[in-house]
Amino acid sequence: MTLPLTLSVAAILFALGVFGALTRRNAIGVLMSIELMANAVNINLVAFAHYTNGVAGQTFALFAMALTVVEVAVALAIVVLLYRTRRDIQIDLASEMQR
Amino acid sequence: MTPEMVWVGLQPLSADLVLTAGLLSVLTADVLMPPGAKRVLGWGALATLITAFVALIVLEPTGWSFGRSYHGDAFATFVKAVFYIGGALAVLAGLESSESRWPRRQGEYHLLILASTLGMSLLAGAKDVITLVVAFELMGVPLYVLAAWSRDDRRGTEGALKLLLSGGVSTAAILYGLGTLSGLASSTQLELMANHATMMPTPFAAIAAAIALAGVGFKLGVVPFHFWVPDTYEGSPSPAVVFLAVGPKIAGLVALVQVLLAGDDGLRLASWAPLVALATLSMLAGNLLALNQSNAKRLLAFSGVAHVGLMLLALAMGTQDAIASLLFYTVAYLFTNAGVFLVVHALGGDGSIASFDGLARRNAGLGMMMLVFLLSLGGIPFAVGFWAKLYLFLVAWGEGLGWFVVLAALVSVLGLFYYLRIARAMFMNPPADPTPVKVDTSTAIAIAVCVFGVVGVGLYPGPLVAAAEVAARAIVP
Amino acid sequence: MRRPLSPGLADDMLEQWAPALVFLAMCFAAPISMLIGAAVLRVRARTVTPARLDSYECGEEVDGSAWIRFHPRYYIVALVFVLFDVEAAFLFPWAVSLEGAGWIALVDMFVFLGILLLGWAYAVKKEAIKWQ
Repeated sequence: MTLPLTLSVAAILFALGVFGALTRRNAIGVLMSIELMANAVNINLVAFAHYTNGVAGQTFALFAMALTVVEVAVALAIVVLLYRTRRDIQIDLASEMQR
Repeated sequence: MTPEMVWVGLQPLSADLVLTAGLLSVLTADVLMPPGAKRVLGWGALATLITAFVALIVLEPTGWSFGRSYHGDAFATFVKAVFYIGGALAVLAGLESSESRWPRRQGEYHLLILASTLGMSLLAGAKDVITLVVAFELMGVPLYVLAAWSRDDRRGTEGALKLLLSGGVSTAAILYGLGTLSGLASSTQLELMANHATMMPTPFAAIAAAIALAGVGFKLGVVPFHFWVPDTYEGSPSPAVVFLAVGPKIAGLVALVQVLLAGDDGLRLASWAPLVALATLSMLAGNLLALNQSNAKRLLAFSGVAHVGLMLLALAMGTQDAIASLLFYTVAYLFTNAGVFLVVHALGGDGSIASFDGLARRNAGLGMMMLVFLLSLGGIPFAVGFWAKLYLFLVAWGEGLGWFVVLAALVSVLGLFYYLRIARAMFMNPPADPTPVKVDTSTAIAIAVCVFGVVGVGLYPGPLVAAAEVAARAIVP
Repeated sequence: MRRPLSPGLADDMLEQWAPALVFLAMCFAAPISMLIGAAVLRVRARTVTPARLDSYECGEEVDGSAWIRFHPRYYIVALVFVLFDVEAAFLFPWAVSLEGAGWIALVDMFVFLGILLLGWAYAVKKEAIKWQ
């Protein structure tokens, strides 16, 4: 594997994540898509660190992982709340407010 | 490494350390305390923010920390002061209302405000991309929880979900963009990253930068990434909106300043066109969408989008004068927007424009103060909002952006129209419910601070302009 | 481990990845040939038994649906688990590099752990870990 190839994998993964985040109707599905985007970030960072002999990228990846985890933890809690108020987690049901 | 060296390294962070210590004390107290006595936690949070503010002014933290990842300077001090005042206003707004509305959860409310303020405060001096993104998240994640505060309210969870999903996509985009730039430059220092991206402008680097910019755009709520802003404001508890409407917007702009102005100006020049486009779109769309709103929270949310557009233009220009005008504008934005949302909070109710009917008769003082804030938002002379707009327009005119100034001035007249809709409801319409509006003491103090800021700086803008110029000199050589 | 990025790498790479390519080709060939074979020979099952419509669980009898909902408590415990999971991700690089980093790294990590412990105390106080 070469650096451009690895970066392409990450880019495709990121694009898939963006596509999923925009098209999924289920809140958990959107969160999974966001998680895909976050994993693309980590592949990217670790690939750069590996092919350029740097440690900065690996450190960055570690922090990026922690940040994603924090975000997802709060996200899951809010999705549980959403379920409690409307017994469903389809996000297009959560559009009662004025546009 | 000796203890003295450690202290020298931590000195630029002294105000942030005060904030951290206060935050941890409030958390410890919250864990240990019986549920009945939690009100003191709010006072603790307020004392923390005031102490941090004093430490900031007295110690004037300067220099590098943790290698070259954090730099304290006049710019950091200026924006930190803005953030601490914003945090303190939100704590004041929640001090008594949280006691009556959610007595068991008031510790968490103040804790989340403190945590988010700490994130903003760290952002003010971040020169390393890891510090920057961690600070940005520390600012952002507590806001998701605050937005979901009314947990049994359907509108509350809807607003929180929208903030959360746009925030999650935004975080991933920022991480992808900045991570790629950092990888291409083999460094996590923002300065080296910016210079590398300018010297070797590959399409990949350009796309990465664009993705990161879109990510920050989501957080700032600029058009076309603004869809969550009005819904989140409408669904969030009103004391939290005081914070939500002010802090994160200014913090997002500060993050952009840190990234775009880090190197030798190349990154800013490359992003000139998209930034001006975003600024123009936000300024126009924000004002137009605000015209047809029946809820004051939503109306003010769209007007906030328009104001962020103006500040984004100052950032796009990026000269020393422009950054000074941006910093002046942030102070105007702080006092004016926190002020209007404090009045919405004091009024209670659902925030519809009809709920302002006859406010002048129900509580004359509150009505007058709201009028002051609305006039400042509209940019009427001798309120701080007027000087902020004038300063920005003068700089923009000098930079050859005359068309933007003319457009913005025309749209401002439109803005006056919808601000005065609220004023007309307050002074002309008969009240639906003639009982006087009672404002709790701490909220009244917060509103008074905002009025003092709006009128005081409006009458004597000189000292603040001087401070903004000094701060701008620290970031643009 | 790390190879330099050189233009001559492509030939070398092809050789290394040849078995994987062959394997990939076989993976595609097997199901496609079976489908074609079935179409040519017109093989079709005639009887529909309940067992045929069940999901396949390693030959075991199917026990309930796989699409059950987990109890919300499970997520709260999972959140607390995640807290310590991430802590471990930071502890490992710290432990490996502690020798060269000096006493300040030791103090730093204890500050970090102390803050984390406060979060844990909060979770315990809120009875997030207790299974009702």
